[in-house]
Amino acid sequence: MTQPGQITLLLRDWSAGDPSATEHLFELVYPHLKQIAGSLFRGERPENLLQPTSVVNELFLKLIRQRSLRFEDREHFYSLSARLMRRVLIDQARSEGRQKRDGGTPVLLHPDLAWIDARPVELMDLDRVLEELEQLDPRKCRMVELRFFLGFSAEETAELLNTSKATVDRDLRFVRGWLYDRLHSA
Amino acid sequence: MAQDADNWQLLQELFHLAEATPAADRERVLAERCADAELCRRALGILKASSREDAEHAATQVPALTGKIGPYTLIRLLGTGGIGAVYLVERMVGGALQRSALKVLAPHSAGSSFIERFHREEHILASLDHPNITRMLDAGLSDRGQPYLVMEYVDGVHLDAYCDAHKLGIAERLQLFLRVCEAVGYAHRNLVVHLDLKPSNILVTGDGTVKLLDFGTSKLIQPDSLLTTTVMATPAYASPEQLRNEPVTTSCDIYALGAVLFELLAGSRPGQSASVAAMIERAIREQEPERLPDAVTRTAAEQRGLAENRLRQLLTGDLATIAQKCLNPRPRDRYPAIELLTGDIKRYLSGRPVLARPQTTFYRLGKYVRRHRGAMAVTLLVALALLASAAYAGWRQEQAVLEGRRALRMQTFMYRLFKLANSNYTGKPAATVPEFLKLGVKVLPEYIKDPADLREAQLGLAESMYENGDLDDAQAVLIQTIASAKAAKDIPKEAESEAFSGNIAYLQGQMDLGEKLTSHALELSRKPGVPPAVRVWSAIFYAWNRDNNGYHSDENLRLLQFAVKECQSNDLPSRECADAFYMLGQDLELRGQLDEAERAFKEALQVYGQDPLALCDQSEVYGDLAYMTEMRGNVPASLPIYQRAYDGYAKCSGADSSGALTEREYMAGALMKLGRAKEALPMIEASMPTWRKLRGSSPDLAEPLYFLCKAYIETGHFQDGEKVAAELVAVQTGRVAPTDRRFGASHLLWARALVGLHRDQEALSHAEIADRLLVNGFSPGAKLMNAEAHQLLVDIHARLAAK
Repeated sequence: MTQPGQITLLLRDWSAGDPSATEHLFELVYPHLKQIAGSLFRGERPENLLQPTSVVNELFLKLIRQRSLRFEDREHFYSLSARLMRRVLIDQARSEGRQKRDGGTPVLLHPDLAWIDARPVELMDLDRVLEELEQLDPRKCRMVELRFFLGFSAEETAELLNTSKATVDRDLRFVRGWLYDRLHSA
Repeated sequence: MAQDADNWQLLQELFHLAEATPAADRERVLAERCADAELCRRALGILKASSREDAEHAATQVPALTGKIGPYTLIRLLGTGGIGAVYLVERMVGGALQRSALKVLAPHSAGSSFIERFHREEHILASLDHPNITRMLDAGLSDRGQPYLVMEYVDGVHLDAYCDAHKLGIAERLQLFLRVCEAVGYAHRNLVVHLDLKPSNILVTGDGTVKLLDFGTSKLIQPDSLLTTTVMATPAYASPEQLRNEPVTTSCDIYALGAVLFELLAGSRPGQSASVAAMIERAIREQEPERLPDAVTRTAAEQRGLAENRLRQLLTGDLATIAQKCLNPRPRDRYPAIELLTGDIKRYLSGRPVLARPQTTFYRLGKYVRRHRGAMAVTLLVALALLASAAYAGWRQEQAVLEGRRALRMQTFMYRLFKLANSNYTGKPAATVPEFLKLGVKVLPEYIKDPADLREAQLGLAESMYENGDLDDAQAVLIQTIASAKAAKDIPKEAESEAFSGNIAYLQGQMDLGEKLTSHALELSRKPGVPPAVRVWSAIFYAWNRDNNGYHSDENLRLLQFAVKECQSNDLPSRECADAFYMLGQDLELRGQLDEAERAFKEALQVYGQDPLALCDQSEVYGDLAYMTEMRGNVPASLPIYQRAYDGYAKCSGADSSGALTEREYMAGALMKLGRAKEALPMIEASMPTWRKLRGSSPDLAEPLYFLCKAYIETGHFQDGEKVAAELVAVQTGRVAPTDRRFGASHLLWARALVGLHRDQEALSHAEIADRLLVNGFSPGAKLMNAEAHQLLVDIHARLAAK
């Protein structure tokens, strides 16, 4: 288990402009968050009435609370949060998704993706095509993560990526089509 | 995929082109732009995929349970919330079927001690007997281990839905809202906060009666649950401090009531369009919510039987001010109590001016400039201080739990204190920890009548002031407790007050008073009935201050050894023990018993090392370890240890903190020993302005001045060195015992500077003082200095004789 103090110190380094702290931070925070996610998901379905809302909210809070020192490089921070969120959800799905694939429809991209109860196999498929997107166009992948894993509105996403809402809308229309297409052709 | 990578830009261009073209023309237009038919087909395929409907997926599915939970038969699902689902249930009670609402909680939110907690809180929950509050009836664990709560069942609709369905006007909505406030006010007077107030927790029955659900649930959630109050609450109605996961007070409910009022009046929640992430960020940045009239929509106006403009007009003046006052990001700027909120609403309804003041631009600007950190730190520290003094009181009494009567009085006091801190009781709200503690001292006698309890509480607050560095105020309170304890022949309290008071006197430079108080405390602490912690403090404060003021003795060492042993055998909090070890280490270091000193330091380090919040303490110990390494003659090896101490301080308290500066200064000292004075001088010079700001002309400035002086001399700047030496001695005079070795060290430098300036005659008297004061040093460093002083004196005599 990592020391919470260590994370705080890294966050401080990071906010002081040490970019190498980011990767380190990711590795440091991740197991911690995963543990939280694990304990939140614990309990067998279908009695588990907990919604992913709680998970994501909690994870996000853990991060943002630590980060309350400065808000200068918000884009950086939120990109990291969204990436973490994605990894936690996918890992959770992986550990739960041992059931056989039933050939159903793939998960649908929705601003509340992280907040709705997508089935594990769907999330894992989505993650796979997002990997492809990351290779092709990292910036669009960030956009998807911010909008769909962190639940930011189009305006907020645009502000963070320093672009216009029209551009975000336009790019996301394309990316969404592309992702669905990839999910189907798989 | 490989193809996409090659044509990524073109593919997007084709997609957007197709988007902008009527369906019938798409194939033609795309073919004109690009000869690659395969790529065109792909763009069209993506366009088709992008227009899929995906709205149907949004609904969250909650599995409906059937059968029984405990003795309750499930009838139907009533709804779901953040922490569980609610069912209508029935059970046979005395031959009759009784219906109630049963809430199933997620297992982790409740934990295994849930039932225990329910029974502990049962009397409080049962005391919530109010016509507008639903009663908590039962709690239990299902066969499958799921915790559940049973509440009175209310057949009603949500507050907002009720208002809209009946097209209630503003005045009628306010009347209903007043009922809600009265119920919340009643609960607050019974020391229960709700923490999740929202329209869906407020039902209105067919006959128009308001019923609040879920009061008391917050008390039953596992305190260490990973699901914090934050997740329990609904973000849109949660106060910023809840979103920041800070301690919660009644003020959170006032914020939530403001959000409910906002929605009842304007038809949308404050900041409705923001994502949850943005809401949390806003909470952390303490941003202002949007203004009430700006949130008005046409639909909302219709539901209130008004034109849009008219509604906006109605919500512009006093109502906007009232909502704003509730929704203020900082608790202390909200209504301090529900009664004041209801008062303003009643005043509005009867056409009188409200008491809340609209915020002026100036006011808001001020708030924008102010950093949020202060406010955060205050709530946190205050809660800690109170917790510490309450827990400490229990520990001091050597009893595990405070008696119920006493706990209740303490609780009432704390509750009142929070309320008063938010109010204008003393002319302005208590915004900082010192202000809050002072307020506590001021109002304490109104709540705690028993003189012994009062002394205890005062001591707790005074020690919090002391920990907080607020020495003058702490001393004022301690003087009172000493007198009161003396009069009541309360020896343990007298010893404790005197020990702290004496230590503060030393810190303030009143050596005689410090000596008198600490030695009296030490004497008292040996009497029977004095708790171990007080014995430890009395010993530490006495020995430590004597060591630091030039009165070394074997008694100091014995006392510190006693403190360490006492700490360990009585299982006192580890931080106290670490402090005792550290001070023992310093005493041993002064004696030149370096191996033993190092062992003590390492013991202290081990305790501090387990505590992530003790980084500063750790760094202090590293500083000592570095110093010892230096003293043992391994100067190069001391440099990285100093660096480690410096880095730790820079992280825990900033590069400009006195801790960090001190380590830098000692590092500079070590560099000088290695003949690298040229590197050392700029390090010291750079930190001097900060030192002067931090320490003014207090005796603590002596240390940096000493190093500065030395660096000047070793780099041949004798003129500057002489000037600083004079300042150094001036700073010490009257504040350091005349026999103190530190005087000797300063005069040694002064003499060296004068020798450098070829003023042997003047140097002589300084060298004589140095030689006299430095004569009995134990540590290797002290011995070295002693030898240096003696040699200097001999040389001066020789030169003067030669003339």
